[in-house]
Parts: sequence; C-alpha cells; structure tokens
Amino acid sequence: MTVKKQETVYSMNNSNKSNFFLRLLRELRRIIYIMLDEYRIILKDSGLAVVFLGATFVYPILYSSIYRNETVRDMPIAVVDASQTARSRELSRRLDATPDLKVIYRFNNLEETKDAFYRNKIHGVVYIPNDFDQKINRNEQATVSIYCDMSSFLYYRTMMLGSNFSILETGRDINIERLDAAGITGRTAEVSLSPFRYEKNILFNEPMGFASFLMPVVLVLVIHQTLFFGITMLTGSLRKERLGVIDPQMRQRGKFFPTIFGKTLCYFTLYMVICAYVLLAIPRFFQLPHIGNPMDIIRFFTPFLLAVIFFSMLVSVFIRNRETALVIFPFFSLILLFLSGFSWPQSNISWFWKTFGMLFPSTFGIQGYLKINSMGAELSQVKFEYVALWIQTAVYFLATITIYRIQMRTTDK
Amino acid sequence: MSNSIIQQITNVTRREWKRILSHPIYLLTSVIAMLFCYLFFLTLMSEGLPEQLPIGIVDGDNSSLSRMLEQNIKASPQVEVVGKYATFTEARKDMQKGRIYAIIDIASGFQADLLASRQPAIAYYVNDVYLVAGSLSYKDLTYISELMSAFMQVESLQARGVVGGENLLPIVQPIAIDTHQIANPQANYNVYLSNVLLPGVLQLLVIMFTIYSIGVEIKQNTTREWLSTGNESVLASLTGKLLPHTLLFTVLGLMGVFLLYKVMNFPMNGSIAWMSLAMFLFVLAHQSIGIFIIGIFGRMRDAISLGVFYGLLSFTFAGFTFPIEAMPRGAQIFSWFFPIRYYFKIYVNEALNGADIRYSLIYFAAMAAFLILPFLVYTRLTKTIEHHDSEETRNSILNEQLQ
Repeated sequence: MTVKKQETVYSMNNSNKSNFFLRLLRELRRIIYIMLDEYRIILKDSGLAVVFLGATFVYPILYSSIYRNETVRDMPIAVVDASQTARSRELSRRLDATPDLKVIYRFNNLEETKDAFYRNKIHGVVYIPNDFDQKINRNEQATVSIYCDMSSFLYYRTMMLGSNFSILETGRDINIERLDAAGITGRTAEVSLSPFRYEKNILFNEPMGFASFLMPVVLVLVIHQTLFFGITMLTGSLRKERLGVIDPQMRQRGKFFPTIFGKTLCYFTLYMVICAYVLLAIPRFFQLPHIGNPMDIIRFFTPFLLAVIFFSMLVSVFIRNRETALVIFPFFSLILLFLSGFSWPQSNISWFWKTFGMLFPSTFGIQGYLKINSMGAELSQVKFEYVALWIQTAVYFLATITIYRIQMRTTDK
Repeated sequence: MSNSIIQQITNVTRREWKRILSHPIYLLTSVIAMLFCYLFFLTLMSEGLPEQLPIGIVDGDNSSLSRMLEQNIKASPQVEVVGKYATFTEARKDMQKGRIYAIIDIASGFQADLLASRQPAIAYYVNDVYLVAGSLSYKDLTYISELMSAFMQVESLQARGVVGGENLLPIVQPIAIDTHQIANPQANYNVYLSNVLLPGVLQLLVIMFTIYSIGVEIKQNTTREWLSTGNESVLASLTGKLLPHTLLFTVLGLMGVFLLYKVMNFPMNGSIAWMSLAMFLFVLAHQSIGIFIIGIFGRMRDAISLGVFYGLLSFTFAGFTFPIEAMPRGAQIFSWFFPIRYYFKIYVNEALNGADIRYSLIYFAAMAAFLILPFLVYTRLTKTIEHHDSEETRNSILNEQLQ
C-alpha cells in the first residue's frame, strides 16, 4: 500500500518533471520560432533593412569622414599693423607661423578689415597700435587687441589659442631684454621670468579634436535611434492590419512571453553584431579614441541594448503607425544628444532636465561609452550608469508586459 | 483666369484645413515638437556660459603657497574645486567617472623648490572628451596660473632689488592682450547653438510634413479627389495644399525669432525684419525640398527616410559647430545644397555682426533658388498624382493574401 503510494508519488513527480522539460522545450521552440520569424520580417521589409542595416552601416562612416580633420588649421586672419616696426612685423610673422592661424591680409586700419570680415574671408583680426614699439622702448606696457569671430566655438578657440601663444612668446622676448637691461641675466633671468612652470596636459583627446569629441556620442546615438526607430516602425506597420495587439500577426495568440523573448532575442543578437561594428571597429578604423577594454564595452552594452529594446517596445504601443514614428524620431535625436551632457556639461544641467534625461537609455549609454571607450574607465567606474541601465531594463520590461496584457484583454473581448 | 486660379487654390486650401483638423495629431505633434525644443534648448543652456565646472586638486605640497593657489582657484567663478585627492591616480579615477573635468597636481616640495629657484612645475590635466567643459576649464586654469606667475615674478624681482611698485608690471607682462569677442562678449554658449539648432529642428519638421501631406494622398489613393478640388491644375492643388503649412511653420519660425532676440535678448545688431524674411524663405526652401523628395520617390516611406537623412545632415552642413572649410573638399561641396547653410550666414551677418545687408543678399538669393526644385520634378509628380493606381494598396492586399 505504502509502496504503491510512494510509486505513484514518484511517477507523478517524474511526469511533472518531464512535463516541465517538455513545456520548457516547447517554450524555447516558440521563442526561437518568433526570433527567426522576426528576422524574416526585417529582411523582407526594405524599409526596415535600410534602418537596421543601412543606417547603422552608413552613418558612422559618413560622419567620421566629414569630421576626420578634427580641428581648424591655418584659420585665415588679418593683421592691422599700425606700428610698422621690426617688432610688430615679428609678431605678425609669429602669428602666421602657428599651426592655428594664417595671416592672409595686412591692413592699415581696422575699418579696412570689415569688408573681409563680413565676407567671411577672415575669422579674426589682430590689431597692433601705432604706439606699440614706443611703449615697449619706454619700458611701458603695450597693448595688442584681438578680435574674434564668434559665429562658431571653434573659430573662437582657434583664435584664442593661436594669438595668445604668439603674443605671450613675443612678450617673453621683451621680458628677457628688460631683465637684461636691469642687470639680470642667464639662469637668474629665467627663474625670475617663470618662478614655476606649468605643464598643460590634455587627457583622452590630445588633438582637442572635434571628431574625437562628437563621434563617440553619435555612434551610441545611432544604435539607440535605429533600434528605437526600427522597433516602432515594425510595430506600426504590423499594426496596419490588425490594430492594438503586441503581436499583430497573432503568431502565438495569448502567449506573450515567448513573443517578447523571441523578439528581444532577435534584436539583441542582431545588435550585438552591429555594436561590435559601430562601437569597436569604427573607432579603430577612423582613429577615434578607443582606449577602453572591449570586453567592458560588450558587458556595458548588454543592459543598454535590453533597455533600449524594452523602452522601444513600450513606446511603440502608443504609436499608431509607421509615419508617426518617422516624424518624432529625428527631432528627438537632437534632444537625446544634448540630454547626454556631452556638450553642455552635465554638471550644469538643471535637476529637471537631468531627471528627464534619466528616462532614456541613451543618456547612460553615451556617458558610459565615453567613460569606458574614450577615457579608459573600467566597468566598476561606470557602476552608476551600468546599474541604471539594468533598472531601466527591468522597469521597461515590466511596463511592457503590463501594457501588453491590458491590450490583449481588451482585444480578446 | 487669375481669378479662377485663386479660387482653385482657395478650394484646395479649405480642403487641406479640413484634412489637418480631422487628424489633428500631425498638427499637434509638429507644434508640440517645436515648442518643446524652444523650451528645452533655451532653458537647458540658460546659464549662457557654464560656470563652477567641477575640478579636482592634488596638493602633495600642502604649503602656504599651494594653499594660496587653491584659494585663487576657489575665487574664480568659472571652476569649483569639488575634490581634494592624496594622489594623482585617485583624481584620475574620479575624472574617468566624469566627476571632474580638470586636475591640478602640485608635487611635494613645490614651495621649497620655488624658494630655492629650482623652477618647480605645476601640472594641469584637462579632460577634452568633454570639449566644452574641458576647453573652458583649461582657459580658466591658464589664466589663474598666469596671474600667480606674475604675482611671484613681482615678488622675486622685488627681492632682487629691482625698482618696486607699479613699474614692475610692464616687466612681468610687457604686452597686455585686449580681447574683443565680437557681438558675444560673454562667449555665451547658448547663443552659438540655439541660433542654428532651433531653425534646424524647424526644417526637419517642415520637410517631414511636406512629404507626409503629399505622400499620404498618394498612399490613401485620394489624389484624384485632391486634384479635382484644384480643378485638375497640379500647380493650384500643390499651392493650395501647402499654403496652410507655410503659414503654420512661418508662425512657428517667427516665434523662434521673437524668443531668441526679444525674450532671450540674444545679440541682434541688424534688423529683425531681415531675419524674419530669412526665416520665411527658409520655410519655403524646405517645403520645396520636401516636394522635390516626394516627387522623386513617389512612395511616402522612401521619401520620408531620405527626408530624415537630409534633415539630420543639415545640422552638419550648417557649419556652425564644425566649420565647412575644415571638412574634406568633397564634403564642402555638399554644404551648398543645404538652405540652413545660407540661413546661418545671414544670421551671422545680420544678427551677430550687424553687417550691411548687401553682404547677405547673395544668401537670400541662394535660399530663394531652392524654390526651383518643385519645377524640376513637376512632370514626374504630375504623373504620380494623375495616374496613381495605388501600388501600395495592391501590395498590401497581396501581402495579406500571402499570409
């Protein structure tokens, strides 16, 4: 009796177990089926293929090529030399000798520079007044005026770098002459001139280059935006036929876990390959910063991809059709770009926009990528971003299944 | 004749208003998107020039001199010392975490070496991955150390018995630099960006909605009805259709002009009237580009994809962040095909530099030249509109059957 009972229990356990495995196997097959089906849909739809494969391939190459010169060299400027002395001509020569500037005009007064400036032929003016040499000879302080074109930050920076350097150098020569006159020479003069030295080191972006600054951000954004756009577009176009369901083709009616996992697996595997190309290969190919550990980048971008996928699935529920997605997507790229705090510094973003930025995976993705890839941080140093992305993944996943469930219930009725 | 054309255009315009209002989502999206961008960019950077940038200091010397340097840095509004570190490695780690944009490293023995005339070094490390924060803290630290250096030179000269007082300044700094930042004396970063970014958002919306409004007729197979409202005249039908959009986007654009120059008080050294005209032409030029793109493709989603691509490239080819002349030759030529390039030039001449209008006329003409684009695709577009047999509808029916 007892033996028999035990046997039944055992066999029940056994069948439960095999049932469980069978079910698991079935679910797995469903997931794989959905994943492959999703691949099929992407490849069949030329619009989607353009976004997932075309845009991710072309954008990084295009932008890296456009910005590959990194910075402005030999920026054209004018010198107004009212002094016309050997010393002022020497200063003008020095300005021209810097890699930043090129003196293309020499004028006699400031009024004459205006025409060239308004025609955008020059982006700066250095004015050496006529008392320049006199003052120096009289041991007074001379003044040199510089005028910067403020239409672009790079013009301004180039002008400041080039002219400050040349003027300080010229000043140093005069300095030595004056100390010489005061009877201070040699090593003593050197020490009096610069009691201490200061070494300036530019870290992580030595050329102070524009591509090194912008491109890493663009690369992450390309991943974020194509994935977001593709997913919303896909749902939108599928929605055209049957409104209001997560899986409008009813491939697995009522079973949304396999559907979500299958779709996720499709995008995730696809984007792992794309990430390797965009985030690892492109910086090496175009000599952009890439001092990070590739394994850390892959580990960091795992939650990033998942967060973007679930975020996009969630948003796509609210998007009625493909065209709406198209209209929102481009202008939002710009907002996300600035929310990431790569340009206007993160330390100076108000709490309101900072909080708003936390809604989007791109904010953490961009910061994390900059820190690992461009500054060589380890994964432990971007813990904040890493954890934030996992939290986003969890929250957007739960929100997505909740909404899908509600939608399914309403459509089943 | 002219009367009837006006009548036709009015009819189409009336029809278009009805269409817009029956699906207000598109109108709302565009208006909200634009207003949101105005709000976002103007408030995000309302500070103008970022101040109190966080930096770190490694004071290995801990002497009266190093503390004086630290005090000087603290007094500067541009940077703020948020961390003191025992070693450079610690500071570098915090920089990699993005907490500080710059590090000042004062080695031990600084004061002793200085007094012994051994010319010790102070090292600055600036993180230029964040180009703006990096450049600004670099500039500020250079300025502070120049001051420090000048102060110590005066001290050392006095110690050597060189005649004291104010006479020392010319010796320490023989040439003073008088910097003029034309029209933007505070180097306001918001001025740099918002003046072009915001029209940039507007052009994206204009292109999208022009393509959409024509493309949706083709897609939904309503072109026959549209054309008959315009009495079979493609010109009247197109004009009538796009007029409400012209009005809407011009109003949104002018609102931007008002916000920038009247509310935010950004530099305006020319005339707002010319800027407004530039804005109007800017809208028309992008509507023409929209017509051109849908005219070539006929199919809405291909047209929209290209529109997005073009619209996003506009930000690059405006040349306001990275100058065009620093781009490779091949890329420079592309900048001619973006009206935003000419808008940027007009803004620089008019608003910023206050140049005479004759310098900008060429750019106005260049923007107006884009109005030719619709005529280039006129026959093709006419064909699409008149003989449209709704390829998409057939395709989708075919798709459904296949499934």
